[in-house]
Amino acid sequence: MTLARGFSFRLALPLLLIVGCAENKESFSPGSGSITLTYWPAPNPEEIKLADTLVALWNKTHPSVQVRMQPIPVSQSTEEVLLAAIAAKTTPDVCSNIWPGALYEYTVAGGLIALNRFPDFDSLMNARIPSDLLKFFRKMGEPAYQIPWKTNPVMMVCNVALFEEAGIGKLPRTYSEYLQAGENIVRDRDGDGQIDVWLGERDIRPIWWQRLFDFYPFYIAASGGKTLFEGQEESMDRHAAAQVMGFFQECYERNYFPRTFFQGGDPFLLGVKATHFSGPWQVAAIKKFAPTMRYEVVPLPVPDGGLATVHTYGDFKNIAIFSTTQHPAEAWEFVKFLVSAEHDLLLLQIANQIPVRRDLLRNPLFEPFFQDNPEMVPFAEQATYTRGIDEVPDLKEIFDALSQEYEVCAVYGRKSPSEAADDMAKRTRMIMEWNQ
Amino acid sequence: MTVRRDQSSQKSGFGRTGHIFVFPYVVFFLLFAAYPLVFSLILVFHRWNIVTPMEWVGFKNFVRLLNDPLFAKAIGNTLLFLAVHIPLQIVVALLFALLLNTRIAARGAFRAIFFLPVVVSGVVVTILWQQVYAYDNGILNAIALSLGLPRVPWIIDPSMAMPSIALMATWKNVGIYIVLFLVGLQNIPKELYESASLDGADSIRRFFYITIPMLNPSMILVVVLSTIGGFSLFIEPYVMTGGGPMQSTLSAMLYIYNQAFYFGHMGYAATLGFVFAVMILAVVLLQKRLLEREAVVA
Repeated sequence: MTLARGFSFRLALPLLLIVGCAENKESFSPGSGSITLTYWPAPNPEEIKLADTLVALWNKTHPSVQVRMQPIPVSQSTEEVLLAAIAAKTTPDVCSNIWPGALYEYTVAGGLIALNRFPDFDSLMNARIPSDLLKFFRKMGEPAYQIPWKTNPVMMVCNVALFEEAGIGKLPRTYSEYLQAGENIVRDRDGDGQIDVWLGERDIRPIWWQRLFDFYPFYIAASGGKTLFEGQEESMDRHAAAQVMGFFQECYERNYFPRTFFQGGDPFLLGVKATHFSGPWQVAAIKKFAPTMRYEVVPLPVPDGGLATVHTYGDFKNIAIFSTTQHPAEAWEFVKFLVSAEHDLLLLQIANQIPVRRDLLRNPLFEPFFQDNPEMVPFAEQATYTRGIDEVPDLKEIFDALSQEYEVCAVYGRKSPSEAADDMAKRTRMIMEWNQ
Repeated sequence: MTVRRDQSSQKSGFGRTGHIFVFPYVVFFLLFAAYPLVFSLILVFHRWNIVTPMEWVGFKNFVRLLNDPLFAKAIGNTLLFLAVHIPLQIVVALLFALLLNTRIAARGAFRAIFFLPVVVSGVVVTILWQQVYAYDNGILNAIALSLGLPRVPWIIDPSMAMPSIALMATWKNVGIYIVLFLVGLQNIPKELYESASLDGADSIRRFFYITIPMLNPSMILVVVLSTIGGFSLFIEPYVMTGGGPMQSTLSAMLYIYNQAFYFGHMGYAATLGFVFAVMILAVVLLQKRLLEREAVVA
């Protein structure tokens, strides 16, 4: 995740050279009159395997439109590779690893084609995307550059054994319940005077994307599903932001979270941390590195009083067609092939990731998968109630400022939560103004 | 006439040959020094993120700089680093240089050992020290715990993080300054010490009245080099702390890098770079003048 989120312009110039020299629009043609599309999936082993399978299926049934799969060139992040490729005009026809937070930069650079030019785009979106999410990805009257493909809802994974050891039968759903649990869970196990079982832990370094896995999902949950912007205007819910800041401040002040980053391995997998805020990838990590751990996945805690529906950050990865394509119609057909129900099932089976589709828990096609993998059901249920990231310029800088406010207020307690929330909003507006 | 023509043709022949020899460097200089410098000067008045076309913004980048509290903070942090690093570097380097200048066993081996960190990659050294400083399972805290002391928040406490980085930077770079001081020590004429001894000067007086003044050229070099090196502090906070905690290790170079390559604000980063370069120049010239004046007074 670290590398994938290290979204930046770092090494952009060397990358320009690399991607500039890459031959993406090769003239390979298996048959007379056939065309070739280039498809870039994410470069992790599971998604490469999935892409291999999907491309083989497509190529078998579409002899006149062949697809060549090439994992996104390995770099610090997908976003920097794609930006460099846009600058060098060496983008693929289709890419399935588009992070919505980078969409603004891609579109300003003229890198993507609007998908609503295809007559069946809206019907596909309406059929696929949960209604609660549709308005975030399809604003009528505006061009749409992406089709939501998969989501990794950030939820709370709990080490059940640590809760039981502390005599807690019910997993926490509110801030008070969570902090109450901390009183019993956090302890010095070996009597050396140092705490060695924690309630939770987060990377405290002011790295902007780390806030996508603590402050931001908690903010979405506390605000009932709001994001930070409305259109291009800052619209942060100050009250919710202050509640979240106050919650994390309590966690650190009471020593339920360590003010450090662990370097001796993942503390959750090592069994020294009771809760972990994570997406479905944590299930695969537990299976691999802590197969005996008993765990449960629940929605993120919310302010006292609770909310009927708890939203969270979805960490979406979407599909887009690049403006360098010579075959937009064929590329669109391939995109529709990727997001079909059968191939969403392959996404679940091979990559263990949640497709963004409204019938995920109703369609009989997916039933056997969820019966065999019950630990994925909470993530599938949560997928309907997720939010993405706003498509605004300077998102990294805004999250960097947010990260600094979080650090000062939540981690070190040097600022009150309401002051930090106000300063966050103020700095966001300043960044937007400066860069306009 | 004939002689003059011969001389002239010989001269122009040398000129042509000289130009041919100089040509590769001139090309290199124009491409990799002059062009980037001019280009970054142009950038100062533009907004550009590499991907989209440049946009003229006039003096907007300077206005932002004047109102940017983070740049001021980054400059303050860098000066704090220098305040800890330079005196520590000089004292440690001089101490070891004096020791290595005596006739001790395995002197060559010791010199090589002290120089070893200089040739190791900065990133490798920083990752290594990250383990040394780690709060939960770091070497230093393991020692502290074994002695019954509490863990020390080396790089997670805002007031300790920058001094901890300065300590690490001293460990990494001290070898090169030991060599510089050793050269200076070996150039001090022995007769001066002999004469002072005959006049009754003890070792402390000899150190302060002969060694230190005679080391002044080395001292100027060490101070100037470590100041410039200190101003370019980047790898250590980038790898170890990301500029935290609470921006206490955000160096000016790291901030410029973040603006350029993290946020894509090439124009603003170029502005910060120019202002910072002028500041470094001013500090180094001031240092040089002060040290030279002290040398004259001494």
